[in-house]
This record gives sequence, structure tokens and C-alpha cells, in this order.
Amino acid sequence: MRGEVRSTVERLDRPSAYYLSRVRASQSIPNKRRRDRDDNADEAAEPAVDPLANATTLYVGNLSFYTTEEQVYELFSKCGEIKRLIMGLDRFNKTPCGFCFVEYYTHQDALDCMKYIGGTKLDERIIRTDLDPGFEEGRQYGRGKSGGQVRDEYREDFDEGRGGVGRALQSEKSRYDD
Amino acid sequence: MADYDRRQQGHHNRKRRYRDDDDHYDRRQQRRRIDSVPVPVRLRRQLLSIADSPLRRWSEEVQSIARMVADNYDDENLRSTFVSLAMQLVIEQPLKTPFVAAVVLVANTLKPEIVDAVLTPVAQDTETKIAKGEWRDVKLYLKFLACLQACLEGDGIFPLLEELFSRAADLQTASSEDTIGTEIVKIILLTIPYIMAAAPGQFQQKAADLMDKTDIIASEPHALQALVDPYHPDPTSESASVSLSLCMLLQKQLQAEASKNWELTCIPRPWNMPLEEIEAQDKLANAPKHALPTISIPSTVIAGPRPLFPEVYFSVYADQEVESVPSTDSVASSLIRDGLTDTINGLHFNRNATARYLIDLDCYFADDTFVKRATPFDELRNAAPGKSTWKPEDVAVDIVFAQLFQLPSPEHKLVYYHSVLTEACKLAPAAIAPSLGRAIRYLYNNSPRMDLQLSFRFLDWFSHHLSNFGFTWKWAEWSDDCSLSDLHPAKWFLRGALDKEVRLSFAQRIQKTLPEPYQPLIGPEKEKDVPDFKFSNPDTPFSSEGQEIGALLKRKAPDEEFQPIIDKIQAEAGERALDPVVASTDVFMTAICWVGSKSLSHVLACIDRSKERLLKAANSSPAAQTQVLAAVMAYWHAHPGIALSIVEKLLNYSILTPSSVVRWALTDVSLVDGASAGEALAQPHIFELVLNTVTKVSFRVRQLLTSPDADEETRNGETKAMQDLFGLLNDLLVSWAGGNKDELMEMGDGSSEPEALIRRWGQRWLRVFKRLGAIEEAFVVETAKEKAGSSNGVDAV
Repeated sequence: MRGEVRSTVERLDRPSAYYLSRVRASQSIPNKRRRDRDDNADEAAEPAVDPLANATTLYVGNLSFYTTEEQVYELFSKCGEIKRLIMGLDRFNKTPCGFCFVEYYTHQDALDCMKYIGGTKLDERIIRTDLDPGFEEGRQYGRGKSGGQVRDEYREDFDEGRGGVGRALQSEKSRYDD
Repeated sequence: MADYDRRQQGHHNRKRRYRDDDDHYDRRQQRRRIDSVPVPVRLRRQLLSIADSPLRRWSEEVQSIARMVADNYDDENLRSTFVSLAMQLVIEQPLKTPFVAAVVLVANTLKPEIVDAVLTPVAQDTETKIAKGEWRDVKLYLKFLACLQACLEGDGIFPLLEELFSRAADLQTASSEDTIGTEIVKIILLTIPYIMAAAPGQFQQKAADLMDKTDIIASEPHALQALVDPYHPDPTSESASVSLSLCMLLQKQLQAEASKNWELTCIPRPWNMPLEEIEAQDKLANAPKHALPTISIPSTVIAGPRPLFPEVYFSVYADQEVESVPSTDSVASSLIRDGLTDTINGLHFNRNATARYLIDLDCYFADDTFVKRATPFDELRNAAPGKSTWKPEDVAVDIVFAQLFQLPSPEHKLVYYHSVLTEACKLAPAAIAPSLGRAIRYLYNNSPRMDLQLSFRFLDWFSHHLSNFGFTWKWAEWSDDCSLSDLHPAKWFLRGALDKEVRLSFAQRIQKTLPEPYQPLIGPEKEKDVPDFKFSNPDTPFSSEGQEIGALLKRKAPDEEFQPIIDKIQAEAGERALDPVVASTDVFMTAICWVGSKSLSHVLACIDRSKERLLKAANSSPAAQTQVLAAVMAYWHAHPGIALSIVEKLLNYSILTPSSVVRWALTDVSLVDGASAGEALAQPHIFELVLNTVTKVSFRVRQLLTSPDADEETRNGETKAMQDLFGLLNDLLVSWAGGNKDELMEMGDGSSEPEALIRRWGQRWLRVFKRLGAIEEAFVVETAKEKAGSSNGVDAV
């Protein structure tokens, strides 16, 4: 990635802004430096060793809670054989909560997946893929207060595939009803 | 560029929001900020978006960029931005090549040094690409140089093309199977039209001489062409149409074009200025000429990283009453196709940009090449005589399908081409969807005479595509085909496509999208997420043992607790004159499937825990190994996708061998679901199973052959195993294809319809696996040659 010539159009096989912001935050690089960085300036602010340089794992988001492993397999196998699939689970109920990790055997398959599958539909939802440095035990569980993903806590829209409106809002509502 | 724009815009938005209520907001300041965008950035933006606008202000755009480069020529940053970006555009977005060339040509009238600054690195890089055998890049640079022919000294790039031809001729004389020579001839033929459009009226004789020479190579069908023909008509039928290779077509098309004084109507000529700019045109005509730096060609040229095959012309709009895509008589069919194909394959890293090109295709060709966008097909008939009837959407979609259906395989994974069509459909549904509809109908109707691997690609694409658009399709038009025999190819397609739809979704959802006649194709068994456990039925032999083993697996009992029950099954089986290990294996594997039926993770974990026992059973006899597979396929028979995923893992564990899978698929399937012999050949998932298995084996061998770490013994062993596998496939399929398989002969004298259909399936299977075998064999031979070459120190590179 670094040292490579910038393409004439944006590449889809790059880590997301979310991932980059987390990396930068963890390295506490001042905000100012980032904003001032010119297009042609050297990217010294990037981490010295890129944890994604050989990444074979993808984080997959915006799945329906009802999407099964088999469905994920069927779609993601189109980019190469899947080595391992870990479904994201609600920390308390141990039920799917709308994300998963897909691990391929090769880095190239993971990049191809970013290019060809990220942003397409699975189970009639647009799914999101992001390169991931690798699965670690514990990451399969939602980090939200109620056990699911954080984004499902305060979501205001009604999303049938992801348990309606946000959990926190739901519990608030029921409090008013009582 | 995109990132710069975005940042600017984001910045701007932030400011706007901040100042929305501010009455003293000074708009002038904003304008100043935009003007102060550094020149190299502005240049990048303008050059990248050249010709994108449907307003088609080509001469303005070209002159403005040329002026920007000339005015700031002292700025080294700008100079290098221009040169490197021009070269990058030519490679990544080759439909823009004539426009980039036009910028250079105009710049030549302002600051002639610019031309040399471009020519030097282009020539150098062309030389490098030739040496590496990266023929597409060579072609793209030559196209660029051809567009610059008017500012080159002497004969311009003709001497280079002549030298390339002499290499091609040598290679072709040496071997009829040579593909590099054919590729070079194709490149030469694709370069000539751009020379003739860029420097009209000057090089007719040169072109004619060169085409006389290419004629010998380009007029003969290539030895490998039959192998990669998308059509595989039934030899008994009359409709044996002859497919043509791109090279043969080009030769004919160029000859026709030469006789029309090289009209080349589709090529854009942004170097021709509008009438009111006579002065600029004059300057262009009298601009200085430049010498093309030497580009040396090694005496031995190589095939490069991608294996080369002859390209066969394929169109899904071939048989229409009105020509919605250029006919193969017209050079436009090859030129438009070549340009867009390279764009599609070059922009694999951004399918949205690729899709944009499909929609905006008409922007990059001469006026009146196409009809207006989104013109309904029925209106093409009303076109005035002599006017184009080419629908840009049809042309674009046709080119993607030609890639998707390219044999042996296109440059990128098939799913890339799926995603391009999906995005194009999202960008302009009203324009693209009707074109796709006609393509689908063509493919559906012609699938029986197509190569079986391509029919499978069609089925796979179709189901995936529908999954992105709510599974809507006008199924009613094929309703009658639901009642066809399962041996019929149309039924094969319907069953396979619907199964894949269910895999990506679920049975009840897909049932809702289908008219009544289709309902039997998604039976109640497909609705069940957890298939019945046959040992729950007390009438099933070994039912109590089956349940016991199931219970042990569920509570993850230690291995020794299984043995007594296994022993019991085997003893009982012996008494009933059954194969004891086959009987116990069936119980064990079926129980694993049932216990693991909750999800793939569950079954894989269960297999992992039982690995040793499964390995021992599978290695005890071929029949037992087959039973492992048969049990999986039987338990998941209503959900073949899950069965295939499990088999994949069993192959990884070496519990199953590839040959056991092949043997089971082609001889024993009937044992599972009561299908009569030969019917397995007409089941899409059985073809998928064998294709996946063979692909896995070939991939592994290729890895071993190219990895420096693999030891010789493993390499040879695995290669031999692969060759044996292809041998086995051939042996098993030849008799089905020839109609002399015992089971087939028992059915009758070979004249009944089912017999004929099964024979045809045999032929289609045989063709696919013969080809795959031949391709892998060629790979083995090539790597051996390379290795011998490099160990002798005569590395070709």
C-alpha cells in the first residue's frame, strides 16, 4: 500500500476509515498532523509495520441477525476457500448479532472479497467488509451494553433484520409504557 | 483524485454548516480557495476526467490541459505528474488513450519538449513489458504510440510492429501450438487502426504490407481454439456453427476497412479541432516531429505471467433481427470490445468505476457510433437507413458476458464480473435491466449447446445476480419447462439456479418468488433446516446404535466409549452379510451430520473431534471411504450446498480422497437417492462437486510446482495423483459419452430419449474435464521447461 503509486481511481481493497482511525488513535498521533498531511507528502504517520499487509481475515458487518453461516459460506466462497468463519454473537444470549469474521487462506482472496463482495447484498442487505488483522478469542461477542453490537444500542430506524430499533431505545420505551 | 475532491468537499461542507446562520459569510473567500488549488492537483483532476463529460467538449478539454502543461512546464512536479499520469491512464483506463494522445499532440504545438518527455519513459516501459511478456500493457502502450503517429518521424511505429511480427512468425513456424505469436499478431492488428486514424492517408501501403504478412497466421484457426470454444454443439445435430477467433475476425475486418479507405468511424479523433479553430488545426499539422526512442525486443519473447489462449468471439446478442451490437463484419465490434475489456480487467480494484464505464461507454467513441442511451430495443427498428442501431447498454453488457464466459477462465475471479453487472444495474436500472433480460433469454435458450462449464457459470451468475435484486425474475415465461424430464438441460438449469438461490437465502423466501409450476422444485425437504435423522426411526437398521452414537457425540464422549457400539454394529452387519465397516461408517458419519446440523461450525467441530476414527474408517477400504461421502450427501441431499462445504473439509483432512469423490459421483450416486444410473450427470450439484474437487487438486499442484519450498517427492507424487485423477475421469466419462456404458446399454438400443440425453451429458462432462486436464498438463510441462531452462542458466527473462 505505502510506496505504491496511487491509482487513477480509488481502490476498494483498502482498510476503512474506521480501521485507520482506530490504529491512529491507538498510536495517539495528533489530529493536526493528519489533517495537514498533503497528498504527496510521505506517509510517515502510518504505522511502521502494517498489520494488514498480509491480512487474510475480514470483518463483515450489517448482517441480518437471521443470516446463517451457510449463507455466508455460499457467498464468500466465491472469492476463495474459507479457512474459518466466526459468527458474531450476543454476549448474553449467544445468538447471532449481525457481524462475523471470515478468514481465507490467502491475502489475495481477502482483498478480492473487499473488491467484489463488500457493498453487495447478502440476504437482501448491503453488507460491509473491512480488512482485519486477525480474529482473537473474545472478539466474536458484541460490545454493546445489552450484549449486541454498539451500533444497535441507539439506532433510531426500525431494522427488522437487526431486532427492530436500538436496544437502549426499546428499554426506554417500555419504561414509559409502564 | 477522488480523495482530494472529497477532502475539499468535506472541508467546504463543514465550513458551510458552521456559517449557515452567519450573515457576514463572505463567498468570495470560498472562490479564492478553489482557485488556489495547486496546479498539479488541478492537472490531475482534469486529466483524469478527460472525456468523461457527456457534453463532449473534447477540443476544449484537450487544449486546456495541454496549455496548463505547457505554461507550467518549468515546474518539475507538474511535469512528472503529467507524464506519469498519462502513462497510468493509458494502462488503467485505455478508452481515454486517444484523448491523452490528443493532449500530447496539442502540447507539441506549444512546447515540443513535452513530447520527448513522454516518449522516453513510454518507450522504456514498453521495452520492459515486452521483456516480461506483459502483453496487454504492451498493446496499450502501442495503442498510445499509434495515436501519436502523426508527430513521429519517418514511419513512426511501423518498424517496431514489423520487428514484433518477425518474432511472431518465428514462433509460429516453430510450433503450431504457439500462443505468443498469435497474441502478437492480435496486438499488431489492434494497433493498425489507431495509426490509420491518427495519421490518415499516409500509411496505406505500410499497413497493407503488414497485413499481407499477418494474414498467414491470422487466417488459420489456432490449434487450441477447439479447446476454448464456448459452444459445444451436439455432434449429431445440424447446427454446427463455426466460432471465430478474435485474430481471424480482425484480419478480415481490417481488410474490409482498408477497402473503404480506413473510415474507422467509431474511433474518436480528439486531435481534429472544430472548424472554427483552423489555426489550432494548422499548428497541429505543422508541429515538429520526434524520433521514437529505440525499443529493443529480445530474440526470445515469453508468454508472461498469464497463460495465453486464442480468444473466441462470443456474443449474447448474436441472433437478433436488429443489430443492437456491431456485427462481426465491422471492425467496431473488435475495437470497442478490446477497449472496454481492457478497462474492465484493468479497473478490477473499483467495480463502481468499471460500471460507470459500462454506462458511459458512448462518451469515448466518435459521434453517432451508438443510438441514444436507454433506447428501447423495439425502437431500433425505426432507425433511419445508414444510422447506427447499436445500443450502448447491449454493447457493454455483451462485453462483460464475453469475459464471464471466456474459456478456460477470464483474468479475474468470476465474482468480479458478477459485481460489475450488479453495479451497472444499480447505476442505471432502466437502461441495463432490459439488456440483461435479453442476454438471459439467449443464454437460457442456448445453454444446451454451450460448454457445460459455461452453463454452470451462467447458473451461478444468474442466482447470485437475482440475490442482489430481491430474487425477481419473469419466471412465468419458462413455466412449461418445469414439467420437462430431469435429464433435460433446461431443467438442469432451473434446478441448479433455484438451489443456489435457496443457498443464498432460504426455501420459504424463494418459494414466494415463484409461480406454481416451480413449487415442486423446492419441496418441503428444502424447508427443513435440520433434516431428519434416519436412525430416529426404529425401523431403520441399527437405529438404536445410531441414536446411542448420536448421544455420545452430543456429550463429546471420549473415543473409547464409541468402540463397543461400533463393534456391535459391525458384528450385526456381518451376520446380515453386509460390509461391517461400511455399515458402522454410515451410522457414525450420519450421526456426525445430525449432531452437527445446527451450523457448519458445529459439524466441523464434530468432525475435528472424530478425525482419527473417520480417518481409520476411510482408510480401511474404498467402500468405507465412499460411505463417508455417501452419508454426508444422503443426509444433506435437500441442501447440497451444505453437503459440498462438508466434503470440502473432509478432503482437507484427507478423510476423503479426490478419486473417491469422482468415483462416487460417476458410478455410485444412484445408491443414495434412488436416481437411476447416469442421472447423476444431469444433476447440477454433482457437476459442482466434481468441478470443485478437481479445481482443488489442480490448485494444490500448481502451488507445489511454483513454490520453492516444496520437495521433489511431494511435487512428483501430487502431480502424478492429479494426472491419475484426470485419467480416471476420462475413463469413467468416455463410456457415458460414447453410449457404451453398461448401464446405458441395459436401458435399450440407444435410441430412446433418456439414453440420448444421458449420452449428451456424458459428452458435455467429458469435454470439460478433458480441457481442464489438458490445461493442467500444459502447466506441468511449462514449469518443467522453465525449471530445466533456469537450471541450465539460460533463463529466458
